[in-house]
Amino acid sequence: MTHHEPLTKADPPVAAPPVAPVTSKPRHNGFTGFIRSFLRIRSGVAGLGILVVFALLALCAPLFISHNDLDVIKVDGPSLHSPTDGYPLGTDQEGRSILLLVIWGARSSLSIGLMATVLTVVLGSAVGLIAGHYGGWIGKALMHLTDWFIALPGLPLAISLSAVIGQGTASITIAIAITSWSSTARLVRAQTLAVEAKPFIERARALGAGGPQVMLRHVLPNVTPLILVSSTLTVASAILSEATLTFLGLGDPTGISWGAMLNSALSGGAVTSGAWWYLYPPGIAILIVVLGFTLTGRAVETILNPRSVKTR
Amino acid sequence: MTTSTPLRRTGRKAAALTASLLLGTAAGLVAAPAASADDGGGTLRMPITGIGIDSLNPFLAYFAGSLDVFSGIYPALDRVEQDGTVKPYLADSWTTSSDKLTWTFKIHKGLKWSDGKPITAEDAAWTFNLIMKNSTAATANGSLVGNFASVSAPDATTLVVKTKKPQATMLSVSIPVSGIPIVPKHIWESHVKDLKNYKNDSFPIVGYGPWTLTDYKPEQYVKFDANKDFLLGAPKYAHMIQQAFKNTDAAVAALRSGQLDYVSGLNPTQYQALRSQSGVKAFEQVGNRWNGIEVNGGARTRDGKKIGTGHPALGDVKVREALALAIDRATIVKRVRDGLAQVGASYLPPSLPQYAWQPSGSEKFGYDPAKADSVLDAAGYKKGSDGIRVDPKSKRKLEFRLGIHSDDDADAKVSTYLAGWFKEIGVKVDIQSMSSSKLNADLAKGDWDILMDSWSTGPDPTYLLGIQTCAALPDSKGEGGSTDSFFCDKDYDDLFLRQQSAFDDKQRADLLRRMQAILYKANENIMIYNANGLAAYRTDRVNGIVAGKADSTGAFPAQNSFDQYLDATPAKASSSSSGSGSGTVIGVSVTVVVVLAAGGVFLARRRSSSDDRE
Repeated sequence: MTHHEPLTKADPPVAAPPVAPVTSKPRHNGFTGFIRSFLRIRSGVAGLGILVVFALLALCAPLFISHNDLDVIKVDGPSLHSPTDGYPLGTDQEGRSILLLVIWGARSSLSIGLMATVLTVVLGSAVGLIAGHYGGWIGKALMHLTDWFIALPGLPLAISLSAVIGQGTASITIAIAITSWSSTARLVRAQTLAVEAKPFIERARALGAGGPQVMLRHVLPNVTPLILVSSTLTVASAILSEATLTFLGLGDPTGISWGAMLNSALSGGAVTSGAWWYLYPPGIAILIVVLGFTLTGRAVETILNPRSVKTR
Repeated sequence: MTTSTPLRRTGRKAAALTASLLLGTAAGLVAAPAASADDGGGTLRMPITGIGIDSLNPFLAYFAGSLDVFSGIYPALDRVEQDGTVKPYLADSWTTSSDKLTWTFKIHKGLKWSDGKPITAEDAAWTFNLIMKNSTAATANGSLVGNFASVSAPDATTLVVKTKKPQATMLSVSIPVSGIPIVPKHIWESHVKDLKNYKNDSFPIVGYGPWTLTDYKPEQYVKFDANKDFLLGAPKYAHMIQQAFKNTDAAVAALRSGQLDYVSGLNPTQYQALRSQSGVKAFEQVGNRWNGIEVNGGARTRDGKKIGTGHPALGDVKVREALALAIDRATIVKRVRDGLAQVGASYLPPSLPQYAWQPSGSEKFGYDPAKADSVLDAAGYKKGSDGIRVDPKSKRKLEFRLGIHSDDDADAKVSTYLAGWFKEIGVKVDIQSMSSSKLNADLAKGDWDILMDSWSTGPDPTYLLGIQTCAALPDSKGEGGSTDSFFCDKDYDDLFLRQQSAFDDKQRADLLRRMQAILYKANENIMIYNANGLAAYRTDRVNGIVAGKADSTGAFPAQNSFDQYLDATPAKASSSSSGSGSGTVIGVSVTVVVVLAAGGVFLARRRSSSDDRE
């Protein structure tokens, strides 16, 4: 978290003191300062707690869930049974434990959410940086493209995309990334423009820095906090999109994820038969994880967003 | 095969349509439009059959929903009762020449189309001739008249059909639901030029049958008025409405809340839930469909040129035999169909007991993984270090693609079982979920290893058997095939030709059984189960739905929709609709959660962008 210190970093030491006071504001105290301010935001801590629990569950799942617990040809539980001995959240039609399915489903839901976010952020930041840095017709073209994607309704676009690319995890990840990179791009471009207007960029140029160097060495470190904030919030919506798309039957129908569980519950008639134990656990899990990311994201935003600092 | 014939193939939802599932659910729960229209005679209300209506043009449409509609509004020459007996409809009687090549039908006198014009033999002759001569008109039912040489109407009540070869199945060519609907010549003549684009949407549609179609809104509803003068007895309802539901659960909720009278096509969970509900009678019908897998034993054109990317090892009958031995069909019937199905073996379903065939004990490929293993070991497919066997000839691992229909819940379930069992015998499958159109396109090109598929049949199995003949293979350019598995066997083809001309039903049944035995041994079409039809109706609203008990052979009675809607009688109205159960509550809450979630995505997006605007 040190690179959001553009002025001191780029300036010759002599020029530093009057411009950048390295004293009072918590965000200038580096990593420990960041942690300290984060801990002060209770909702953020709660959000992070949720995420840690789910991440641990997802990561450790293979330790206590064996392949046989989830393999339809190996399990022998009752079919679509309400919570009972040995099955605290009941069973699905194949006789698998809903609890184990929900835990295992976290792996795919979280990984697709994170993968899609990485793609979104990389794509969005690249477009934003280039558009902001070069301006001119490149910038205009890129921004028009971005506007076009912002104007397109996300869900129908994602549905048609995954219908075109084919079903499966990869296509869902790509569909989410393609439909959600545009706001990151706009955000990054705006910040790029703001950063490039600052004198240290001019100085860098005067010293002979070329386009790529300015972008990567000077601008990128300065927009990183913003990207970070934006990505924590993107994860939440990516996980939700993943669940929505798999629920609509566009994911891997044989895979285990929360959306896929809801999908097979619905198509299997769980609603009609009143099998609440099949419907609520994955739905509530989605809700909690999305809440976790949103809380964490907002907290990080409050600390890192340069604009929110200015207005304090 | 591929595209056509979905009349016999269940409707599969197009993937994109799934999108409207949400809306479908919500709409189904919130409101049943037009359901309360009632002017004394009563209204029979049900969902549109299957995945819906592809077109109201009977020369083009082949979705089950369309066929269901046509059977009610267009006449046919004759009809087939559930026990297989043929009964008159438009034709009062028929005779065959001594060489069995000329059929003469006597058309009933004095019948009128719904616009008052008389129905004559010329209408029937014109309809058949159009399908024989116009390739567009042949889209839906061309194969049914393939053996026709000429059709003529010497006078208003006589229809003469000459065939190229004797045709035993003549009386199945024009029957309600699965045969050719006869249309009024005076209406359709002017539309022949633009037949491909003609939607047949000027209401009421001129036709003849128990019903007259008065209104249709795509994806919404079809409305009918009863034909009080119908030849076979007027319907007991004054009106019928079929509503569109994208999701059976929504239809079930509507049935529960009294917005529908009759729902068919239930899944086992829904069936079990409705069985315990008072005021609703849930019933089984005999299965008229097979569910199973097709194995690509060597895709080729009619002239023998190999096409596609099928795995070479599947050309070995021993490998296919091992796959057939590795499937525990009883478990699938129990787990996926909740016992409401029969273990599959016969290519023809239990709804045709007179033709269905069962393997004897020694012929049978039952569940026997140990035997499957030894078959593969003996054929030289040794297990590699990863437990996957290797083909000694091509040196390729036994890793197969398993294509499934993305919109079919049962496909996804069954395929996970198959993957597990195949793995036990050292065969790996990669489950690939595809839209029906993609699946069929790959099938036609031979770009597949194993596919899950399902076919149903009407009273005559000719079509279903025809898709396994060499003639159904694609031409030398790889086009025009209607084959279902690239199966091609000379003995089978000989039998197929012989059964078409076998006028003795016993003899024909024997030929059909021998054909099925050939199919069974080849294991290119591995049957898994025959699902029973599951339906339900409200006992406080409707009587007369045929919903009997299984007979001594375990077969349930089945009626096609034509008879079912004709026999339905309004029950003495006790108009209170029993409350919606917990299912509806959960349904509503799930819908709400999902809608909120979807809304949340957009809000989150809008919020992040509005916050971040400089």
